[in-house]
Parts: sequence; C-alpha cells; structure tokens
Amino acid sequence: MKKKVLCVLLMVLMIFTIWGFSGCSPAETPATETPAAETPTGETPAQPAEGEPIVIGIPTALGSIEGRDGVRAIEMAVEEINNAGGVNVGGEQRPFKVVTIDTREHEAGIPIHDALAALERIILTEDPHAILFGAFRSEVLLASMDVIADHKIPYIVTTAMTPEMETKIAENYDEYKYMFRMCLNAPYLVRYLNQMMDYFGSEFGFDKALIAVQDVLWATGTGRGVEAWFNNNGWDVVGFDVYPTGAGDFSSSLTKARQGGAQVIVPIFDMPQSGILVKQARDMEVPALLAGFISPAAPENAWDVFDGELDGLINFIFEIGPLPAAAVPKSVEFNQKFGEKFGESARLSLAGHAPGPSYDSVYVLRDAIERAGSLDGDAIVAALEETDTYGVIGRIRFDENHQVVYGLDPEETALGGAFQWREPGVRVPVFPELIAEDDIQLPPYM
Amino acid sequence: MFESMLVFGLVNSATLLLLSLGFSITFGLSGVANFAHGGIYLLSGYLAFFLIRTIGLPYFIAVILTIIITAFLGAAIYKLVVIRVRGIVLNEVIATFAIGICILELFRWLGYVTYEYSLPYIVRGRFTVLGTTLDYQRLLIVVVALLLAVFVWYFTHRTKTGMALLGMAQDEYTALAVGVDSDWAATYSFAIGGAFAAVAAVMILPLGIININLGYEVLLIALAVTVLGGLESTKGLILGCFILGYAQVFTSTFFAPHWKEAVYLLAILIVLAVKPSGLLGKFKELEERV
Repeated sequence: MKKKVLCVLLMVLMIFTIWGFSGCSPAETPATETPAAETPTGETPAQPAEGEPIVIGIPTALGSIEGRDGVRAIEMAVEEINNAGGVNVGGEQRPFKVVTIDTREHEAGIPIHDALAALERIILTEDPHAILFGAFRSEVLLASMDVIADHKIPYIVTTAMTPEMETKIAENYDEYKYMFRMCLNAPYLVRYLNQMMDYFGSEFGFDKALIAVQDVLWATGTGRGVEAWFNNNGWDVVGFDVYPTGAGDFSSSLTKARQGGAQVIVPIFDMPQSGILVKQARDMEVPALLAGFISPAAPENAWDVFDGELDGLINFIFEIGPLPAAAVPKSVEFNQKFGEKFGESARLSLAGHAPGPSYDSVYVLRDAIERAGSLDGDAIVAALEETDTYGVIGRIRFDENHQVVYGLDPEETALGGAFQWREPGVRVPVFPELIAEDDIQLPPYM
Repeated sequence: MFESMLVFGLVNSATLLLLSLGFSITFGLSGVANFAHGGIYLLSGYLAFFLIRTIGLPYFIAVILTIIITAFLGAAIYKLVVIRVRGIVLNEVIATFAIGICILELFRWLGYVTYEYSLPYIVRGRFTVLGTTLDYQRLLIVVVALLLAVFVWYFTHRTKTGMALLGMAQDEYTALAVGVDSDWAATYSFAIGGAFAAVAAVMILPLGIININLGYEVLLIALAVTVLGGLESTKGLILGCFILGYAQVFTSTFFAPHWKEAVYLLAILIVLAVKPSGLLGKFKELEERV
C-alpha cells in the first residue's frame, strides 16, 4: 500500500513538474496552419479574401530561433495581406495559407535525407504553390534544388547562405530557376566582415586574428573568405578552428588566441551553444575583441541570458529588421508590429537572421503572383525576376543568379548591419555608417 | 600552451568525472546500466532553471530541491519501470534508454530548443594558476568532482549501506542470502545516480546553456569513461576521465576541435577490443552487461 501511495505521489510530482515546464516555456510552437479567415487581429478586413487559398509551404528547422521567428514573420505578413483582401490572381482575390513541416536540420546528427524527406512530404501532401523560408542548412538547400526542379515550385530561401546555389543556377538556369534567395549570402557577409576588419586595422592597428567557425558549409565558407582577406592584407591568422555543431568548449581556441596575441576573434556560428564562447572568453580573460556572428547573442534579450557577459561583442544582424534602423523606416515598423502581435518578449528574442527577409518574401511573392496573374510556377519565376521593391531589409532586387543584392545603402540595395553590446545591456548599431549610432569602442578588458 | 593544457585538461577531466559518476555508481551498485542518465541530467538542468528563473526561488534552495526531486525521479524510474524487467539485461537497457529518450524528446516537444535556458554561476570571479586565467565556477567543478569521487569510494568501502549495495552488485544471490534486499539496493542506487546527475547539472550548466543535445552527449560521455575505466571501479572511472579529458584537450589543441568528439568513440572501440573489462575492471562477467 505504501509503495502504491509513493508511486502515485511521484507521478503527481512528475505531472506537476511537466505542467510547470510547459507553462514557463518562452518559445511558442509555431502554428501549423494559418488560414485566412482564422487570423484574428481585432481589425475588420478591408476586403475579406474568400477564394481557394494559395498555399505557402515552409519546410525548415522550426526549433531554431531563426526558424521560429521566420515563420512568425511570414505568418504576420500573411495575416496583413489576407486582412487587406488577399492576393489578386487574374482578377480573383485569394488568401494565403501557411503550412509548415519541421525538418530539424539545425540539430546535430540529423542527416540531409531526413530534411529532404520532409520537403518531399510537404510538397506531396500539401501541394504548395510556393515555398518560403526554405532550408535552414546550406547542405540541405543544395540537395533540395533537384527536388524543387522536379516539382517546379517557386522557392525563396531566407536562411541558408551558401553561394553554391547561385553557381548551380548560373550553370543550369532552366533546371534551377525556381530558386531565389532574399537573405544575406556568405560572400556578402564576407564583404561586410572584411570592411569591418579593415576598419579595425586602420583605427586600432589590429593585425592578428583568430577565426572560429561552426562545421557547416556557410560558416566554413565565410571563415575561409575572411581568412583569405586577412592573408592578402598582411594580417596574421593565429588559428582557424572548426567546431562541430553542438560543441560547448572553446578553451583551445581561446588559449591559441591569447598566446598568439590575437586582437580579434571572428566567430561564425548559428548553434545555440555558441553563446558559451563569449562567456568562456570572459572567464579566461582573453584580451581580444569578438566580432562576427554568434546566433544566440543577436537578440535583444541575450544580455540577460548570458548574465551580462556580452560586453564589447560585435555581432552582425544579417538583414536589417530585427535591428530597427531609422534609415529603413519599415524595419522600425516591423519591430513594432511584431511586438504587438507576438508580445514584447517575442520581439526581444528576435533572431538576427531571417525574420526581415522572411517577412518581405511574402510581399515579394504576392507582388509576383499579381504581376504574373496566375499561379503557374514559370510565370511566377519570371515575375519574381522583375522584383524591385522596398521592404524591411531595404531595396529588394534579385541579381541574374537570383540572389538579392546587398550593400551599404538601403535606397539602392538590401542592408545588413552590426551592433556592439554595451553596458548596461544595449545593442548599439555600429555598422554600416548609415545606421551607426556610435563608433566601435574597445571593451574594458582590452 | 603546456600550462594551459594542464589546467584545462584538469577541468575537462573533472567535468567528465562529474558527468559520469551518476551513471557509474548506479551500475556499480545495482548492476543496471541506467541509459536514462543523460535525460535525467537534462531534466535536472531544466528543473533548476524553472525553480530559479521562473519561480524565483533562492539559488541554494532551488539546487537542493533539484537534487532531491531528481533523486526521487531516479528511484521512481526503478520502482515503476526497471523493476519489471530486472535481470533481463537487454530489457533493462531498452527500458532505461527509452525513458531517457522520452525525457529528452518531451522537452523538445515542449519547445525547449532555443538558447534562452541558462543557469546563473554559483560563484563569480577569476584567478590565475600556472599563467592561465581560470574562473571559480570551473574550479568548483574540479573540487566537487573530486569530493564526490572520494565520497563514492568511502561510501562503497567504508559504510555498511555502501558495502551492502556493492555486495548486491557483485553477487546478488549471496547478498540476498545475508539479508540485503535487492530492490531496496537498486532503488537506492538509482536515487543516488539521479542525485549525482543533478549535482553535475547545477555545476556544469552555468558555463553554457541548457540544450537538449547535451542529454545525448552526456550519455555518450558516461558510457565512454565508464567502459574505459572499468565498469565497477571508482578508481578506474577517475583514471578514465583523466585519460579522456587530457586526450580531448590535446586533440583539440594540436589537431582540430572537431576531432575531439571522436575521442570518446575511439576510446570505447580500443578498450572493448583490447581489454573489455576496462583499465581497472576486475569482474569479467560484468563485461557482458554492456
């Protein structure tokens, strides 16, 4: 009897524990479907869209912060468009409908064919008219291109960054013309990083660096690009370390940086564990400026999450949007609307990569469908190629290989930027000059 | 470079020791390999997070509560599940592994997949040793790991309860004959294993973030060092941790960080091929339990 009572008590304890956990989770599971008529905003639709929905498929890593926020941004744009009357397809107003599938490709050990199977499943079961957000990993993106070529579905990727996609499109346009990218790609990131390193050299006299990257295609490619620039510009690269996804100890790189006298550490990571690098650098008192991309250090609430250890870190926001910039009014508006729809805590945790272009991608798709006047894949592709509009990320135009052009002036191109974490936990925009609110400052530990 | 390797090798070894003590003691005392160890470790981390960050309990109360609750959870795993398959080794492995997966994937399902889960440092501050700057949190890990290892040795060799438990692991029928209750011993060992997993979690997780994949990694670590050192040997476990700990630091410093992960698997392969009972393992029959 006593044993039974003990068992029941333990079960109750476990149930309460699980209940407590589910209540304190800050991450909301993204909705799997957002039909037009079920998008409550409290506003009366200008002209409710009632036709057959245009299905947007989102096969991606929903558990990543980029995936979570990208899907939210897409849902927000869909809701706005549907409430404004939907999409005019050859004279008929039709709503957007979002369907998602979790590929889990951001996790360590998930094979590419699992992510591809998810892509095929969403295509075969939901018959999407277009795919937005797309692959999280570059490796999955490249493998997805043949699947998309078979099904001829317009595909706008807003996270995976490898330039191999453009190379494949250039080599075989007819096969791969359905692929477009609206987020930053690795070569543009390398350009931004090189400009920043050039500034470090001229302003602070830095000439030694260590590069630490995640062992994924986009990050190693970016790291190699920056390394080439260092080598061509007289810098000494004291280490180029590649970490597997999921790694949580960076002491060997930090030791190398310290003993090699590196003034800059360039981290390129999208895994949640990469935040440990910053904490460990502070713990080991490495006198080097961290400047690059650490995904979990990008959101506005990261300062608290990492117990204030981010002071001095320079982190890129790949596409303006999560970092509101006065030079791009729509980015300010985007932040405001995102906070109103999903709550302030959701806005504070906005990822530094994907939300801006994901939001814009819905409008770009709508405009392309309306210009094409049909849902035919080839017609939409032709219309997408003519895109020239302004969005949350600045001016949106695709180059001949379907990559949105990035630069330093949002009137001319899309825009990425960087900020520096400063006491008492504020993100100060420092790059490029157009959005900079202050010069880059060396932190107290240097 | 050498001094730094020495210091961080020690920290890494102590971390491995802390992560694997719970798994090792459960096996050493009950003969059951608790493959839910990684899941219990992660659950303790999230539980501590919940008690500290969400409920707002004082740190030390939250830590003690976490350890107690996790110990009960360990005991519950035995009383509710493992007891039904006790003695059938393959079923024990499958059952505990399934529980571990359930715990880990439950948190994934609940949405605990981002960077936002972290525990505060127990102690802040830094000091310099052998020319290498080290923080007090890592020093605490070294101290606690060594203290726990000493406690385990003392408990199993110098206390009646510990010796009774050890006797049960060595020969269940003989231990039964002298009045040791088999289920009591196993429940006790699962509870201690759970508590140790919680201690490891509240010590180590403040260095980074709580991430679901850690659960799988912890299980692999525990398995590797336990197999390397010898399944029932505390001294072997410590030796295994130091060998793997320094091998990892050496590998990531002189080769590349991504080779570090391969060290675990290589260690298991070599030991199973050359000396299946582990470096200091004594009981050949136990080899067949993994």
